Amino acid sequence: MEKITAEKAKEIRRTDVGPPHYGQFLPPVIKKNYGRWKEHEILSPGVMVHTAESGDKIWSVRVATPRLIATDTVREVCDISDKYCGGYVRWTSRNNIEFLVSDEKNLEPIQKELKEKGYMIGGIGPRISNMVHTQGWVHCHGAATDASGLVKAVMDELADYFTTKELPNKLRLALACCVNMCGAVHCSDIAIVAVHTKVPPIDHAKLGKICEIPTVIASCPTKAISPDPATKSVKLKEERCMYCGNCFTVCPAIDIKDPYRDGIAIVVGGKVNSLRSNPKFSKLVIPYMSNEPPRWPKVVAAVKHIVDVYAKNARKHERVGEWADRIGWEKFFKLTGIEFTFQAIDDFTFMRDTLRTASTFKW
Amino acid sequence: MEKEELKEKIYAFVLAAKGKKKVKPRDIEKGVSAETGAGIDEIKQAMKEMIDVGKLMYSYTGGASSVEIPSEEYLREKGLIK
Amino acid sequence: MKKYDTPLLDELEKGPFPSFVKEIKKAAAKNEMANDELGQLEYSFKTNRGYWKHGGIVGVLGYGGGVIGRYSDLPDMFPEVKFFHTVRINQPSGWFYTTKALRELMDLCDTYGSGITNMHGSTGDLVFLGARTEDLEPLFAELTSRGWDLGGSGSALRTPSCCVGPARCEWANYDTLEACYQITQEFQDELHRPAFNYKYKIKFAGCAVDCVASIARADCSVIGTWKGPILIDQDAVRWHEKKGMDINREVVDMCPTQCISYDGKELKINNDECNRCMHCITRLHKALKPSGERGATICIGSKAPIVVGSLLSWVIVPFMKMEPPYTEFKELTRKMWDWWDENSHPRERIGEVIEMKGMRSFLEAIGVPPFPQQIKEPRKDPFFFFTEGDIERFKKREEEEKKTGKFIF
Repeated sequence: MEKITAEKAKEIRRTDVGPPHYGQFLPPVIKKNYGRWKEHEILSPGVMVHTAESGDKIWSVRVATPRLIATDTVREVCDISDKYCGGYVRWTSRNNIEFLVSDEKNLEPIQKELKEKGYMIGGIGPRISNMVHTQGWVHCHGAATDASGLVKAVMDELADYFTTKELPNKLRLALACCVNMCGAVHCSDIAIVAVHTKVPPIDHAKLGKICEIPTVIASCPTKAISPDPATKSVKLKEERCMYCGNCFTVCPAIDIKDPYRDGIAIVVGGKVNSLRSNPKFSKLVIPYMSNEPPRWPKVVAAVKHIVDVYAKNARKHERVGEWADRIGWEKFFKLTGIEFTFQAIDDFTFMRDTLRTASTFKW
Repeated sequence: MEKEELKEKIYAFVLAAKGKKKVKPRDIEKGVSAETGAGIDEIKQAMKEMIDVGKLMYSYTGGASSVEIPSEEYLREKGLIK
Repeated sequence: MKKYDTPLLDELEKGPFPSFVKEIKKAAAKNEMANDELGQLEYSFKTNRGYWKHGGIVGVLGYGGGVIGRYSDLPDMFPEVKFFHTVRINQPSGWFYTTKALRELMDLCDTYGSGITNMHGSTGDLVFLGARTEDLEPLFAELTSRGWDLGGSGSALRTPSCCVGPARCEWANYDTLEACYQITQEFQDELHRPAFNYKYKIKFAGCAVDCVASIARADCSVIGTWKGPILIDQDAVRWHEKKGMDINREVVDMCPTQCISYDGKELKINNDECNRCMHCITRLHKALKPSGERGATICIGSKAPIVVGSLLSWVIVPFMKMEPPYTEFKELTRKMWDWWDENSHPRERIGEVIEMKGMRSFLEAIGVPPFPQQIKEPRKDPFFFFTEGDIERFKKREEEEKKTGKFIF
């Protein structure tokens, strides 16, 4: 494909067309049975079949992706979809690919070919699906760690829980490379959150030139920033700063990134569905581990450990948060052997909801 | 008010804010409406036409979107000046 | 093309999970930008920090979003990623594609981008990772002339997204794909021309399973629900039991409202007590299904922690029919935006503004009355406001009571 000229671009460009209508991308069996599906069954960790009221069936074969994928990989996915799925394919909300098979006789051959080509089939049912994650060092300005690398290291360790092994219920992992948390990290069973841990240095000469001082002051949630007429920049009250990095987002002259101090926290027990119990936020259990690329061995071990303790102790259908709520968080710390730290106790008005107000707890 | 005159008022409003305050479309609509008595929809349409031809541009600095006087760099890249 | 040694990244080519390093290398083999992306990423791994700058004024003429300016902090070392902007392309509802459409998009990504994609970004867009400033206009022309458009960014409506819905799920209570499509089309101006104080996300989930995590990460979460009883196929209940399910332990005992019973022969549900959590329906998926009137619960306000803590969306409208042309939803959305705009500063999400200004101010502005469904429990503190109108209304009612001799609480 050749690039078009600027003139040609002006001639053909349109605006406000919006996305194409999804109808043109639906396989015929879906079009025919749209809104009239009757039931489904999970046939294996990576295959489910949906049956329509008409009796028609569609098989979905799910494979993992690293989300960041090259165009040639998408073309390979297209080749496979052309061969077995009539040229239709979909992605899931957790960056998996679903091959939509309308003809049962293609079900075995497509799985065989996917396996041969190195695709990881699975992620359906009471297992670990793909991790939702952010950009990290691949493309983000504020990242306190890499995202894709850490996800790869964690998922390599837990791959069996994607492809075969069962858990009490599904377990949703996520990773955010800073506390901005692009993606639903704050409501995941286990989430890795990269944190800045140091009051940022300010380049006063640069700040005066490139940043709007009122905006910088307003960006601080703890009111730690005030104007400094002497430097034509701002002052930072260090004891108030909790390193959220919001000031850096509005003003690059405040450099929040610190290779030695930036690290990893782990939060657990969140969920987004309303099954049994209401949606929950994930809660802090490990406040800090060092950033250790390329494979972050300690972070990976911590996640694996929490998964193992959950798998051993939770009742069937309990999510991590429901299990922790039932046994009590003091028991969670006991069972996991994770050290309880000051960081895990809430501050400010948030503490009203989370401190204990009864003498009924477990030893 | 004639559309061209309204556009001049909008341009003057954005120019006056330059370097002092980031203005977003709603600030411009309200400010220019108070100044000229023109309707919000009318101003919105005029502003859209100005942005479409590079008379004004959107910016995203300081973590929020605003409308600004286009930089030379922007106009050159869009082929609007040599 | 420069060849980078990548001993650290090479470690991430090992192991069973698909490797993003292999993907970058695949693209780098034929694209200079992808190659320098690889080089810079290795340098990040070596030095433990990121090297990107963001922001600025890149974009396509007339739009204020869809492209996010991204620049290398080390342009001398990695010149090909000096400009490496993100291009967001509005995905089709439910992320369904034909291979023909995908191949066309991939050709565009190779021609005007780095050959690296995100399928998909957190909000749902199909992302071309890395494009030079001068390629943005031709890429935009190629996309729009083929019927694709950019997604949202900045202080604007962000690209709405939805679950797989009625396309392949028996639990969808409304057509999430069509709602997502029509709402996206309705608000093209708000999506491309940032006019808000901050971002506004809408996500459409067909039921309480919430496969798009709408309750946690959409300013407006539209969650499908129903009003009728749960229909039971008793034969299918026994099918599940035969398959090894302990119905009492796994379903009856886990029902949060204790409205199910099973005596080994017949499963009974007291639908009056059911809060539609969907646990029983997802476990006994062959036996149970919702019935009766369908629609959605509209919840508002969720967001990630920046800046003053994360929020889950709050129930605002307990039940709304979600049917084309979605007039009620569109009107409600416009009213909410007006109130939000009047009451907020830059970078304040709607949920934060509701917290600051009070739910009453918000509900009155959008014309929604108070319902007990909006709360988990009533307030516990004794500090509440009265308007003159409130007192007048209470007094008037008491006058009526004196006439009739009958108290109304």
